[in-house]
Amino acid sequence: MIVDAHVHVFAKKTTEFPRTVSPQYPEDGEAPVELLLEQMESNGVDQAVLTQIGGPELEHHTYLQHCLKTYPNRFLGIGLIPKEKWHAPEDHMDRLAESGGIVGFRLFEVGGPIDPLVPMDVTTFSTYPIWKYAAEKDYVIWLYSCARDAHQIPFLVQAFPNVRVVFNHLMVCPGENAFAHDDKGRPRIQTPMPPLTRYSMLGLHEFPNVAVKLAGQYAFSQEDWPYNDLERWHKTLLGKFGAERLMWATDFPWILEDPGYGKLVKVIDALLPDLDSEQRDLIMGEAARRFLRFPETV
Amino acid sequence: MKRPTDVERQEWEDNGVLFLESAIVGEELTRLQALFDRSAAEAKEDWLAGIAKGTKPAAHFDIPNPLEKDDFFIDLIDHPSWYGYLMDFSDEDLILLGPQVRTLPVLPISYVGWHPDVPHTTPLHMKAQIYVEDVPANGGAFGYVPGSHKPDAGACPVVRPLDTMPGHKVYPGKAGDVVLFNSYGWHTSMVNTSINPRKSIILIYEKWSKDRVATDRYVGIADKCTTPDRRRLFSLDAR
Repeated sequence: MIVDAHVHVFAKKTTEFPRTVSPQYPEDGEAPVELLLEQMESNGVDQAVLTQIGGPELEHHTYLQHCLKTYPNRFLGIGLIPKEKWHAPEDHMDRLAESGGIVGFRLFEVGGPIDPLVPMDVTTFSTYPIWKYAAEKDYVIWLYSCARDAHQIPFLVQAFPNVRVVFNHLMVCPGENAFAHDDKGRPRIQTPMPPLTRYSMLGLHEFPNVAVKLAGQYAFSQEDWPYNDLERWHKTLLGKFGAERLMWATDFPWILEDPGYGKLVKVIDALLPDLDSEQRDLIMGEAARRFLRFPETV
Repeated sequence: MKRPTDVERQEWEDNGVLFLESAIVGEELTRLQALFDRSAAEAKEDWLAGIAKGTKPAAHFDIPNPLEKDDFFIDLIDHPSWYGYLMDFSDEDLILLGPQVRTLPVLPISYVGWHPDVPHTTPLHMKAQIYVEDVPANGGAFGYVPGSHKPDAGACPVVRPLDTMPGHKVYPGKAGDVVLFNSYGWHTSMVNTSINPRKSIILIYEKWSKDRVATDRYVGIADKCTTPDRRRLFSLDAR
């Protein structure tokens, strides 16, 4: 069973499927779920995690909810929460989760003090109500934190040892002004690799509720596929977290043109060539299935 | 300059670690503490900016180029309380690789985990960790696995949690205490769950070898290194 643990789908902006627009996903742009399914089926991928893109408001999730309903048991969903609702996110989180298939919420910051030398009181962090409610309702935190907040995360993980936390994109926490797009429209992150935030992150392997996605290599590497300059970092993550807490993903659709979906299905074999078959099965899907509790049947 | 006793030398050979109590005391310690705090305050703004940019780690705060900031830091490198030990262990052929004037914030995890610094294929690699303030066992104290510096120790295991490492010993200490250790051995900073950041200075040394000498490394402080011993220690002359 192969699971692509992080993809994005979006429809053209319409009244049926309202969403925000950006140069990366303009009004008439689309990455339909049928195109994703076509790529998955051609490459033997069974299930995927649809990560919301196109805005955090409830109505912005309409296409994501449509995909989850149309193809039950094929996908799980990750939603977004508007910043103005962080102080009282319960209703927003529940309404999305109750619509079916949305199992967690993505955060790009955690909202504590930037100065690591001041006392850290997690109850003062701006995302604390989200973590607290995730703990109550067993929602997953899908984390792509900025660098300024990286050192705050261990305090939250410690405070909520039952919240399942999935670090996005190789556990990189990008610095400010690090985001750009390349000439193919793909995210491009200017960051040292391995990231300096690793000193605040790698020790989280001690917490069994923390997992890491092996995805987004194209955005961090200085090389073309298979991104050999990231091999050592992949091995470090494997050594710390073990295959049972690593999840392969493609970051569809940004990778369709370069390197192509099929090549990304093989990227783990290229970067972690010494995996045994059990480890490979875990990273390519079984870890995501267990950690995220995918439905058994397709 | 203090030299190891036969007992200390045997302990070093057996365990790979030596704890020197009260290596810095009195007025000298007070001066070191004041210099540390002043230097950290001067560097903090740049550190915080670097954290936001992702170019500096938040999990530890190193004062950049300390040897160029104050001669007192230079005097720590060949301090009589431990320099003689390191010279003895390196067969009188020692070079400095670098200082780390380091503040370790409170954090629920260790920033490094158990690790050796170098493989046995490199020349003898040693560190001196000076506690600038008191470091309790839960305050990011140094941890070491005695005997793990030996070539037959095998690979350093990944353990969860950190304090389940078999055979490890934690070295809490008072301000002015110093831990000398062989960096082939498995070591870590234990988790700092206290209420205070840890303040310590880590000096990195190695037995001289041609590959590790960089005559330009400390050229900025060459005028402070006028004796033959210092010029050798700071790699200012090629051999």
